[in-house]
Amino acid sequence: MKEARETAAAARFVPGQPDMWAFVLFEALVFTAYFTVYVVCRTRNLELFLQSQAHLDLRVGVFHTLVLLASSWSVARCVQAARERSYEAALRHAYLTVLFGSVFLVSKVLEWAAKLRQGFGFTTDEFFSFYYFLTAIHFLHLLIGFVALGIAIHQLRSPLRRSQETVETCATYWHTIDFLWVLIFALLYVMR
Amino acid sequence: MRLFAVWLALSAITLTQLGVGSADGGDVLVPNAAITVGAIGIALVKVRIILREFMEVRHAPVLLGRLTDLWVVLAGVSLLGCYFAGMA
Repeated sequence: MKEARETAAAARFVPGQPDMWAFVLFEALVFTAYFTVYVVCRTRNLELFLQSQAHLDLRVGVFHTLVLLASSWSVARCVQAARERSYEAALRHAYLTVLFGSVFLVSKVLEWAAKLRQGFGFTTDEFFSFYYFLTAIHFLHLLIGFVALGIAIHQLRSPLRRSQETVETCATYWHTIDFLWVLIFALLYVMR
Repeated sequence: MRLFAVWLALSAITLTQLGVGSADGGDVLVPNAAITVGAIGIALVKVRIILREFMEVRHAPVLLGRLTDLWVVLAGVSLLGCYFAGMA
């Protein structure tokens, strides 16, 4: 029994570099602080937040979430394929992740442009200040995510450069962008 | 196949959020604790699934699993606690 437990413990592994996980947990805490401040400000001025929130399209938020979830699936498949040494498949899934990320990026810019055309800017009111701040800081993380994907693709393209740990580290960063968006979506588009 | 099933489940849960977010008609928004708890609760379940399945925390050392679970609980307590404290 003890032996079986020890074997199971030995089989466990940290995906990617442990430093990246420290960063992920740090980012998660920083974003939790942003989200908490948002909820506190929201409850102090609930009517205004609800009125402004009504100008967001819930279906657009759902679309963004579905696209990022698809990107998380494809980057997880990339890691799995690389682990099985199916590097062609890993590359295909890495490119697919870039495609999903690009769809999110373009769609988010179009949403911002539509809101600005409707007269809702960063200084319109407190809700839109939070809307632009949270989505913009997430957008910045997405741009860094493209750099991480570029590193993974660069490594996967040559047998001389391939490092499973680096591919897993880049994927871990990309998933972080996804789960942070899942919370941003719930707080900006759905909650009342 | 497992990853695809996870993605399908996460997408299906996201579509239920479309229902949750439209539960009060959606045109004129009014305060609604049930929708808020549903929205944040569903989001945290999705986050935990992403962590465990896509990010492979279920294969990671127990400490990492506990730290990520602790953060999910902390986020839930913090967000819902502030919401209900502010509404009281």
